Amino acid sequence: MKYFKSVIALTVICALVAVLLALTNSITAPIIEENASAAANEALLVVYPDGGDFTQLDISTYELPATVTDAYSASNGGYVVKLLTSGYGANMVLMCGIDGNGTVTGATCLSSGETLGYEKTYGDSLKGKTVTDIDAVETISGATMTTAGYKNAVKDALNATIILGGGSVDIRSEEEILNDNLSEALPAAEGKFVSWFMVESLENVSAVYEAENGTGYVLVSDEEFIAIDKTGAVLSTVADDIKVTMEANAQLITNSSIEEIDISGYDMPSQVKKAYKTASGNYVFELAANGFGINGDQYYSPSGKPIELKASVTNDGKIIAVLTTAQYETDGIGSACADASFYTQFNGKVEADYSEIEGISGATITTNGYKTAVSKVFEAVKLLEGVA
Amino acid sequence: MKKTNYWKILITGLLKENPVFVLILGTCPTLAMSNSVTSAVGMGLAATAVLICSNAVISLFRKFIPDAVRIPCYIVVIAGFVTLVEMFIHAYLPELYKSLGVYLALITVNCIILGRAEMFAGKNTVGKSVLDGIGMGIGFTLALLAMATVREVIGAGTFAGIEIPFMIDHKIEFFVKAPGGLMVYGLLIALVNVITKGRAIKKKEFNCAGCPSAGVCNGGCKANEVKEGE
Amino acid sequence: MDTFKTLAAILLTSVLVNNYVLRQFLGICPFLGVSKKLNQAVGMGVAVTFVMLLATAVTWPIQMFVLNNLGLEYMQTIVFILIIAALVQFVEIFLKKFIPSLHKSLGVYLPLITTNCAVLGVTINNIKDSYGFGESMISSLGCGLGFMLAMVLFSGVRSRIDESDIPEHFKGLPATLVAASFVSLAFYGFEGVVDNLFA
Repeated sequence: MKYFKSVIALTVICALVAVLLALTNSITAPIIEENASAAANEALLVVYPDGGDFTQLDISTYELPATVTDAYSASNGGYVVKLLTSGYGANMVLMCGIDGNGTVTGATCLSSGETLGYEKTYGDSLKGKTVTDIDAVETISGATMTTAGYKNAVKDALNATIILGGGSVDIRSEEEILNDNLSEALPAAEGKFVSWFMVESLENVSAVYEAENGTGYVLVSDEEFIAIDKTGAVLSTVADDIKVTMEANAQLITNSSIEEIDISGYDMPSQVKKAYKTASGNYVFELAANGFGINGDQYYSPSGKPIELKASVTNDGKIIAVLTTAQYETDGIGSACADASFYTQFNGKVEADYSEIEGISGATITTNGYKTAVSKVFEAVKLLEGVA
Repeated sequence: MKKTNYWKILITGLLKENPVFVLILGTCPTLAMSNSVTSAVGMGLAATAVLICSNAVISLFRKFIPDAVRIPCYIVVIAGFVTLVEMFIHAYLPELYKSLGVYLALITVNCIILGRAEMFAGKNTVGKSVLDGIGMGIGFTLALLAMATVREVIGAGTFAGIEIPFMIDHKIEFFVKAPGGLMVYGLLIALVNVITKGRAIKKKEFNCAGCPSAGVCNGGCKANEVKEGE
Repeated sequence: MDTFKTLAAILLTSVLVNNYVLRQFLGICPFLGVSKKLNQAVGMGVAVTFVMLLATAVTWPIQMFVLNNLGLEYMQTIVFILIIAALVQFVEIFLKKFIPSLHKSLGVYLPLITTNCAVLGVTINNIKDSYGFGESMISSLGCGLGFMLAMVLFSGVRSRIDESDIPEHFKGLPATLVAASFVSLAFYGFEGVVDNLFA
């Protein structure tokens, strides 16, 4: 009985207090909210001094970049966008004002765990920029991650305001765009493609992608995506002359097969590690290139390992394609040898015009080693063809 | 006769039993909030409001609250009033709300309030409990004000944000920082010792037996009980 | 790796830089009261750390899944303090019944913890700083360890004070507070250490 009395007393007191608090809350909550929105309005004015009378937008109805967390529209047609992006190891909350013409009126960092302090001042350098010239703003060296994250977030904000204004912006990444294009050409692949290394000399084709589920290939020709099935029939609707070319290409791809050849009997350059011959008589070489820090026959890339690459060449000495398969170079410098923009330069080169290939500035040793390795395929082909 | 009695209750908290300098209670908010006069007064008045309300309610319900669950009941009542005060400050004094921060919610565990509930309000009438709350609350506020005045004037060269000539050019930042708080508190208690020739400070040592919240928990601590008509 | 870095930074910051006792003045009562002897200081420190972790493990989900969902954020203080009081009671009963030896060494400190503002402070701060569950637990661990570190360091200082000849009016609490002031000053040396470690 005494026990029950205690429980009842405590329950009654709790209930009374809860009711009292709920009543008070109903009085104070609207005032607190009003204060908060007034304070928020003031913060919005910092990045958009000409704006006013901000209203928060429901951003869930738009497809905005993922960094955008909130958006407010001003009565004079501009916007303020709140963003969450990552800097160096910590998140940054940014606020960015954009006027009706799509120009940045101001950007500020509300909170961050950054250590260098650049996030506090970097917003000023983005003032007056538009979506077309924001990329040109330089990042601060030594705080690249922080400032690049900042810049990209503000660019997202610019894109977001275009979308909010009823326009449309491609917010997909490059890989997403490529994948979408491939899927459109060959829906049967269900969006899963792998790059097919060109071992055959294909006319008018810059790249080939193979469906992971084996339903066919997509050929990239002059920005067009042409699908073929595994029997070599052209699926996409194209002009008759192109169709003929592509059918020929398709035959080469579908009939392609490669076989390793023994190179021990030849006096091969040291860079050539393995050689293969395709059904149509082309050669594919696996090569090892000197990385940064060459010393005689030793490979002194930062990891002590060479750059691995493969190259396909026609039997009359024309490079079809080159691909970096593994590299251990310094991140951000020599590692550029793995970028497609670098190694696709070799496509279609013959020995005579080989010297035109440009190295990567700041990574001269790496790219020279790479170029030397690829140049050895001409010698290797001559040896294998017996014309040397 | 009765009148003097009430007066005595009120004045006790102000001087003879000043919670901060004599009873050594509520040390956490005293130290944390005494770096500026504004937040010290804000904290003092917020705590006073909670103290008066909780004292009144607890003494009103003292016959209804069973002894076994009195502590949880006191805590709920106090926490309730703290939240109430917190809401009002948040709504009407947003600047003060910001500067008090988490310490506003922590009034809940301020020894002074639970201590007075246990020692005084649970045993006395509503009128006396309210007077005790007022006395203790103002005593707490004045003590905070005294400490904050010393710290802000020397440490920041200002008083409640108003610049003081000469001091503003010769500020010693140590005093507004954490170590300065402990130092000033120690010096002021020593000063009270000097003035009262050591009679006022009942506790030469700070130990659990001297803390009313410890008394609350252990059910001990009869030494500091303030009985009616004492 | 980044998560690990963030957690390590939270831990070190709460132990060294934002030390609850010496920088934020939370838990001053037990700091002044129970730091006379080393074993007492350690016992109290362990008990506080344990209760902080337990309280965070319970209050965080309650705030996130119950209070926030029901729009009862304003009940935070009441709910948290009741949970802490109940947890302390429960732990005491549990220890008394099942691990009497531990109860003997830690039990005396447990009742003091209910009204220790550091425990309520850490649970509220974790919500205020919008930490996730893992981060909250690490921050509680750090605050508890920081509390223990301050207590242990200060118990050493105090044993020296007791042996010294101090002016009459400074005896007892005033001398203790002035000594605490210097220990707190020493902790200022850690400012910037954590930032530089993880920069």
